[in-house]
Amino acid sequence: MRYLVIGCGRAGGELAKRLSQSGHEVSVVDQRAEAFENLGPDFRGRTIEGEVLNQHVLRRAGIEKADGVATVTNSDSVNAVVAHAARVIFNVPNVVARNYDPKRRPLFEAFGLQVISSTGWGAQRIEELLYHGEIRTVFSAGNGEVEVYELTIPARWKDRRLGDMLREGVCGVAHTRAGRATLPDPAIILDQGDVVQVSATLEGIEWLRARLEPGEGI
Amino acid sequence: MQVLIAGGGRTGAQLAALLVGQNHTVRLVEHRPDILSRIHRELPTEVIHEGDAADPSVLEAAGAREAQVLAACTPDDADNLSLCFFARSQFRVPRTIARVNNPATAWLFNQTFGVDVALNQAEILSSLIEEEMSLGDMMTLLKIRRGRYSLVEEKIPAGAPALGTSIKDLTLPDNCVIAAIIRKGEIVIPRGVTTFEEGDEVLAVVDPEGAAELARLFGFPSARPPTPA
Repeated sequence: MRYLVIGCGRAGGELAKRLSQSGHEVSVVDQRAEAFENLGPDFRGRTIEGEVLNQHVLRRAGIEKADGVATVTNSDSVNAVVAHAARVIFNVPNVVARNYDPKRRPLFEAFGLQVISSTGWGAQRIEELLYHGEIRTVFSAGNGEVEVYELTIPARWKDRRLGDMLREGVCGVAHTRAGRATLPDPAIILDQGDVVQVSATLEGIEWLRARLEPGEGI
Repeated sequence: MQVLIAGGGRTGAQLAALLVGQNHTVRLVEHRPDILSRIHRELPTEVIHEGDAADPSVLEAAGAREAQVLAACTPDDADNLSLCFFARSQFRVPRTIARVNNPATAWLFNQTFGVDVALNQAEILSSLIEEEMSLGDMMTLLKIRRGRYSLVEEKIPAGAPALGTSIKDLTLPDNCVIAAIIRKGEIVIPRGVTTFEEGDEVLAVVDPEGAAELARLFGFPSARPPTPA
């Protein structure tokens, strides 16, 4: 597949390197030649030095024939504008934009773009780890509005029903005991060491965390 | 009229001062401290809204929902494009005008980004300079239709090719109309039989090709023919 990466900072460099290592044809565009140092010596794709809003630069980088474009500069406006142009003017089938400043997220939503808010997402993940080691995120849908969490049942929850962990905003995904997974039946009686996966909204997981706190009445 | 201006640099501040003078309701959004301290000396306080226009919540707080016009005048072309798109798609601003800083990005300033009018400073200025160079003594009095047509004035020198010929025999191009002749301080309404005299000032409405032909007919005889556009 042919991919175009706009912006060769840390995120862009890392992305281009991964795509190239997976055997794809990659072109990276950046205004600053020294940015390509982020690619490392093993990068086998093309580097194009030029203004990313210049159509000749984009065409030279192969935007017309790209299967996917990622805009990952540190300017939200540039990321949104180039991504929109890739989609609407050059009909690129798969376009992903990076949101740098969380305040500017609505801009990407206005353009209807697939967006990764790396700053906000990273902060959210760190926050979760700080609060609770017991509940781990195993999958994020969208930009973290719904996530799948995994938790190991502590001793204080032994003999409670799995249904006690669920309510609006928290859905059971799987229940695993002794290495064997089943779909979660709310009637299951939990045992210490059982592993349960739930998918939940932010409000849902807050509720579940509070419920799992030691000292919560059974 | 309610006007929202993004960016308080020279262009934005000048525009705000002009519109305030015409009693329009103006909000100018700016966040750069050095520029804010300058415009606070030049503009009434209620005109200035401190904040980053590129932040959607700031744009809304500055009154984007009520604005009839957005003028995106920041020094960042990507900001100007996303401002116009956001104002049109989220706040339904009826008219958007954007400044093009870098001519290489001008190709993006159109309806794809909700831009109604793009003003490319470098292009406007360079075409004016080019016109001044190629048309000699012809003076542009007024630009019509964003510069496509002009009202021009030319003083006829001795030996000009058009001297002594009547208007109907001049074979003027289609996009060139003689509007008036000023002769010894008096207006002469041009008719088909009117002939030109040395020292006449000719007023004409022309497009670029018409201007070139007019310069040939009314210019100095020794002048090199204007190069075709």
